[in-house]
Amino acid sequence: MNVLIIDPDDARAALVAEGLRLDDGLQGATIHVWPRFELARLSAINPDMVIIACESPDRDTLDALQIAHEHAPRPVAMFVDRSDANTTAQALEAGVAAYVVDGYSPNRVASILSVAAHRFNLMQTLRHDLSKARADLAARKTIDRAKGVLMTSRGIGEEEAYRLMRKHAMDSGRPIAAIAEDILAISDLLKKRDDGC
Amino acid sequence: MLSVRIGFSPLNDAALVVLAEALGFYSAEGLDVSLSREANWSNIRDKLSYGLLDAAHVLATLPLARGLGLGPAIGHIIAPMALGANGNSVVISSKLKEVFEGLGASTLLESARALRMVIQHRRAVSEGKVTLAIPFNYSPHHFVLRHWLAAGGIDPDRQVQWVVLPPSRMADHLRDGVIDGFCSGSPWPQMAELNGDGVVLFSDPAFWTLKPEKVLAVRGTWGEDNPQAVVALTRALLRAGQWAVKAENADDLARLLSADLYVRAPLEAVQAALATGGAGLILDPQTATFPWISHAKWFIGQFVRWGLTEDNHDFDAVARRIYRPDLWRQAAEPLGLALPIDDEKDEGGADVNWKVRARPHDIVMPPNALFDGGVFRVHRG
Repeated sequence: MNVLIIDPDDARAALVAEGLRLDDGLQGATIHVWPRFELARLSAINPDMVIIACESPDRDTLDALQIAHEHAPRPVAMFVDRSDANTTAQALEAGVAAYVVDGYSPNRVASILSVAAHRFNLMQTLRHDLSKARADLAARKTIDRAKGVLMTSRGIGEEEAYRLMRKHAMDSGRPIAAIAEDILAISDLLKKRDDGC
Repeated sequence: MLSVRIGFSPLNDAALVVLAEALGFYSAEGLDVSLSREANWSNIRDKLSYGLLDAAHVLATLPLARGLGLGPAIGHIIAPMALGANGNSVVISSKLKEVFEGLGASTLLESARALRMVIQHRRAVSEGKVTLAIPFNYSPHHFVLRHWLAAGGIDPDRQVQWVVLPPSRMADHLRDGVIDGFCSGSPWPQMAELNGDGVVLFSDPAFWTLKPEKVLAVRGTWGEDNPQAVVALTRALLRAGQWAVKAENADDLARLLSADLYVRAPLEAVQAALATGGAGLILDPQTATFPWISHAKWFIGQFVRWGLTEDNHDFDAVARRIYRPDLWRQAAEPLGLALPIDDEKDEGGADVNWKVRARPHDIVMPPNALFDGGVFRVHRG
C-alpha cells in the first residue's frame, strides 16, 4: 500500500502524512510526500492513491494520466458512489482531491479522504489561530507603549493610564488597540514638532 | 441579492468575468458574486460537479467532453455565452525557431512541414521525440496543435509526445529543454518570450481568425433553479464586454488583469498579449460572445477526428443541450445588441468582413478563416 501526497505547502503535507500514519487501516503503508508532481518519478512509487492539494497547479497533469494509461490513478470524483459524494465534496471544500487506482476499496478511499480533508481544515484553523495570536501580541505591545506615553505625559500610574484608554475606547466604540495607535501617532507628531522648533 | 460563486483561471481571457466584478456589473444585475481563482481546470470541473461553484470561466471543450461522457461527469453543464474569441499562442524553443528560419518556414503550413523534417531527423539520429505541452487534455489548445501538425503531414498520435502542464510551468520546461514547445492562453506565452525562454511561433488568429476558446459554464441544476439569474449573469458579462471594447479603457483593462487578485502577471506581459499583433483576444460582445452551435460541433468534430469519442452520439443534441443561444438572446436584447437569427454559421472561409443575419439589423463580422482554407459548413435542411 502506497499513498502519495502532493502539496506545495510542506507543513500541511506533514500534517496530512501524520494523520494517515495514525489511521488504523493504513498500518504498514508507505506514505510519500512531494511538493510537486513529477511524472518521471511516479513509476518508482506506483501509488495506490494520490492525495493532491487543489491549489497545486500540477493537478491537471495528474488528471490527464488516466487518459493515456490504463493503470494510472483515476480521480475519485469520477467514480464515487452517490453515498461517497459527500466525502468528496467536503474534501474539495477543504481544498484536497484524490486519485486512486482501479479496484481499491471504496470504503478505504472515503476514510483516507476524510482524514486528509480533516487535516486540511485543521491546518487552516491552526494558521488562523496563529495569525490571530500574532495580531493579539502586536496589539498588546501597542497598548503597553501607549500606556507609557500617557503615564509620562500626565504623570499618572499604569492602572490609571489603562483605565483612561479603556474609557475612551468604550465612549468612542472602538477597540482599545486602535485608541492606543492614535495616542502613539499623536505623540510622534508632537515629538516631531518639538524637534522642528 | 442572490449569491453566486464563480470560478476562473488566471488568464487574460477571464477578462469579462473579472471586469464584471471590478466594475460592479454583477451587483447592478442583482447578483452577489464571489470569485474563486482556481489553480487548475480539474478543480473547476469537480467544483461545478459537486456544487461548490455555480458558474465558471472554462475551456469550451470542458462541458463538451462531459456531454460526450469523457471524464468525471456528475450533473449537467450549460454554456449561455462564449467569453470572447482567440487569446492563445504557441511558443517554441529558440533552437527550433532557428531551424524553422533556416528552412525558410514562415506560414503555419510551412512551419508544420519544417517540424516534420525535424521529427524525421531526430528519428534518424535516435534523438527523443518532439514534445509539446498543453494545459489540459480536452482543450482547444490540443486540437489547434493537432490540426496544425496534421496539416504538415505529422501524425500527432505517433510522432509527437504530449504532456499536460500548468501554463505557469511551461516556460521553465521549455528553457530546460524538457519540451520543444507549448500552447497556452495569454499572458504566459508573452511572459515566456519576454523572459527569453522561448519564441512565439503563432497566435490563435493566424490559425483561425475568429477561434472559439472559453465559455461561461453554468451548473445545470443551479441554472434550472435560478433561470433569471443565468440571464442576469450573462448580461453582466456582456456589459463587461461593452466596456472592454472601448479603446479608452485598454490601459485600465490591462492593469486590472495583471492585479494579484486576478491574473497575477507582469503588466508588460499582459499588455504584450492584448496589443495588436499579440494573442488576438476579442472581447466584443456583438461578434465574439454568441454561443454558436457550429462552434460546439466543430469541437465535437475534433473529439471524433482524434479518436477521443465514438461516432455514435447525436452530436446535434449534445451541442444544443450544452450551448444555449436562446439564453444569450434573452440577456443581450435589453443591451441593444443585434440578435443572430440562426444558431449556426459556416466556420471558416470568410477572409474579409462579412454579415450574419440578425434582428433588428445584420451584424458585421470580422473575418472568420482558418489557415488551411478549411470550411466547416452548416448542413442546411
